[in-house]
Parts: sequence; C-alpha cells; structure tokens
Amino acid sequence: MDHQDNTLKIGQLAQMLDAEYTIIQRMKIKKETIKRVGYALIFYASIMILFTLVL
Amino acid sequence: MYELFPVIILLAFLFETMDSSAGMGFGTGLTPLLFLLGYDPLQVVPILLLSEAITGFTSSYFHQEFQNVSFSFHRPFNQATKTMGIIAITGCFAIILSVILTYAALQLSKSFIKTYVAILVLAMGIIGMIRLKSKESRYRPKLLTAFAALAGFNKGIGAGGYGPVVMMGQLFSGIYEKTATAIVSLAEGIVSLFGFASFIFIAAYGLTIDYVLLPSIFTGGFIAAILSPYLVRVFPNKMWRILIPIYAILMGVLSLAKVMNIIS
Repeated sequence: MDHQDNTLKIGQLAQMLDAEYTIIQRMKIKKETIKRVGYALIFYASIMILFTLVL
Repeated sequence: MYELFPVIILLAFLFETMDSSAGMGFGTGLTPLLFLLGYDPLQVVPILLLSEAITGFTSSYFHQEFQNVSFSFHRPFNQATKTMGIIAITGCFAIILSVILTYAALQLSKSFIKTYVAILVLAMGIIGMIRLKSKESRYRPKLLTAFAALAGFNKGIGAGGYGPVVMMGQLFSGIYEKTATAIVSLAEGIVSLFGFASFIFIAAYGLTIDYVLLPSIFTGGFIAAILSPYLVRVFPNKMWRILIPIYAILMGVLSLAKVMNIIS
C-alpha cells in the first residue's frame, strides 16, 4: 500500500469529521455516548469502593 | 479509609487533560511537581503508572467513541491498531531493557537522564514548530518504531518523556494530530500497565509501594480522561497542530530549567 494511503487511512475518520462538520455540529453528543459516560462513572464509583475496601 | 487531597485531584485533572488532549505531560509534568510537594518516588512513580494505565484505556475508549480514531480489535487489524501495536510492543521491550540498563548494568546518573530527556523534548518541539510550514506528511513506520523504542527507554529510566517523544514521533511519521493523540493514549496505557506490573514484581521481593496518592490521582485523571477526547473532537485539528509543539517546547524548557536549578 502506498505510504500516503496509510497516513490517510489512520486519520481518515477524524479528518472527515473536521472537513464536513462545524465546531457546533461536532459538539453534539449522541444519547448512546451519554449512556457510556454514565457506565464510566459507575466504573469510577466501583474502583473508589474497591479502594475503600483495599487501601 | 483513604484520604482525598483536593490539590492533588486538581493537578491530576489538569495534567491528564493536557495528556489526553495533546498526548503528553502527565508523567513528565506531574512527577517532578509531586516530588517538589515532598512525596517520595515510591509514593509517586508506581501510582502514576497504575493511574496512567487506567486513564489511558479510558481515554482511548472515549477517543474511539468520539471518532478521533477507529481501532479494530478483530483480524485483520486496521492501520491505526497496527500503529498502536508497533508503539506499545516496542515500548514494552524498551522499558525492560532500560530498567535493566539503568538499575543493574550502567547505573546512569539521574541528572544525565533528565538533561537528555529535556533536550530531546525541546528539540522535538522545535522541529514540530518548523514542520508546521511543511504541508506534506509521509507515513514512516521505521521512524515510528525508532521513536517508540526511544520513548519506552525514557519511561523505563523513570525520568518521563514517553508521551512527548511518541507523540512528536507520530507527527513526524505523518499521522493526523487528533488520531495520534488517541493512539498514544492506548499505547501509554499498555506500557504503563507493564511498568506497574514490574513494580508489583519488585514488591514481591520486599519493596513497599505507598498507595496514599492513588485515590486522588485516579479521581482527577479519570474525569479528565473522559473530558479530553471530547475536547479533541470539538476543537479543530489546526489548533492541536500548533498547540502540541508549543506544549512540547514548554515541557522541554521547564525540564531543562529544573535540571539546571534555575527553578527549584
């Protein structure tokens, strides 16, 4: 594969987002993402509870 | 019951925000600052490695969620995953080699290591600024492997300088800034986990790791690891293209000033 193609392939998605969407459009968050942030916070709380038990 | 330190939470948040947004700064910036606050290496280094491992995986997950990168974890691996693999595997081997060379064979002096890392980061920041004028970027996997080895070596000798070297190495190898940040987050997570495992191994032979800072560093770092990928997505790449080399120069200058005792 051509070197230039490789570079393009690695950053393809981010480059496409930058080219086709404005900053305001990129600020929008999907409901699914908010749900995943919620799961991450539950993960954080679990780790902190683990610290309480272990440390 | 553990104690949470608001100042440490704030510092961890600020440095992890920069680390997950610009690909560098958590280890290189926070380690000397915590030493200045009076904490011992065994209260700082293994805790930063463990925290960086968790936040590295978290931020790379959210980089993928916010589409700064697209990793594929099933065969055939895509180019981003292969690049991350090159960086992480080379970094893991380099970390073992550097630990052996530093602590068993060569006994390099701390000031020599710190001066070398500071000059290296400064030079890479300056080259990054010069590179801003060049519009052409070419994918160079061999150059990337060399930078990954150098970065892993830096991390193993405990003087920081993994993120800046790998990040600038990726940019010199032609990788898009936003994606390079995401790749370095995951690679650093893997290498840090490896580094922390080495400490656990040494701890089995009598070394005591102090976990007092872990809840505070983890709290600040974890929140930043979610927020930063979002910032990377929202702000234009042009901004990161300028900000990253400037930040590298700043890190290099501050490290050099500290080595030369201009700042204490």
